[in-house]
Amino acid sequence: MPSVSSSIRVKVLFFGRVREITGLTEEEGEVREGTTLADLLERYMRRYPQLAGFRASLVASRNQEFAEWDTRISNGDEIAFLPPVSGG
Amino acid sequence: MPPTPDNDLYELVRAAIDPAAIVKHIRAGQAGAIVTFDGFVRNESHGRATKHLEYEAYEPMALAKMREIGARIREKFAIHRVAMVHRLGRLEIGETSVFIAVSAPHRAAAFDACRFAIDTLKRIVPIWKKEYFQDGSVWAEGDIPPAAQEAKPAS
Repeated sequence: MPSVSSSIRVKVLFFGRVREITGLTEEEGEVREGTTLADLLERYMRRYPQLAGFRASLVASRNQEFAEWDTRISNGDEIAFLPPVSGG
Repeated sequence: MPPTPDNDLYELVRAAIDPAAIVKHIRAGQAGAIVTFDGFVRNESHGRATKHLEYEAYEPMALAKMREIGARIREKFAIHRVAMVHRLGRLEIGETSVFIAVSAPHRAAAFDACRFAIDTLKRIVPIWKKEYFQDGSVWAEGDIPPAAQEAKPAS
């Protein structure tokens, strides 16, 4: 069994269509060490199957910077799954 | 990211945008040219009559990306000052949603920088627009920001 230190805290933010689908604006949780942004999204898609239809249009951010899906989550990270942007 | 001068302006606001005040802010003797972009709410979208719009943002990230665009402008173009202001919340037809102003010693840099600023804002700044119609609402189609590496400023 991994030790307790292998559990890391993460804050997830939700915007636009993703906020509406999940009904969440912000959630804090724990993930196992080695969890990637793709793994975390997978977890939310299991909870909110409607998200799967938008998977290809989402990009991830980690600590307010765009991030690749294979990025591993670190303790205290702020993560968001961003729908296509439409400012202007 | 290179620091941007304190007198550049990057804001997300919930009250009406005052273009004249923004232009005044970036107007300076050493400039000589100002180009502005005023984006405001159109009364239709894909042939449907728009009632109003709602904008939301990932605010700290949106401001960081706006500053990043300002820094990229300073690397690419010989400008004096830049201001980028985006409004959030509910906007009615005709109200300004985004206002960008660039001052420069010469007009070409001001035009190019202003165009670059609005084009890049629409591509990478995490702001979302929901369009309300008589018979429903939709999230605007939007742009998928480029991959993480590309979205960073050219170092």
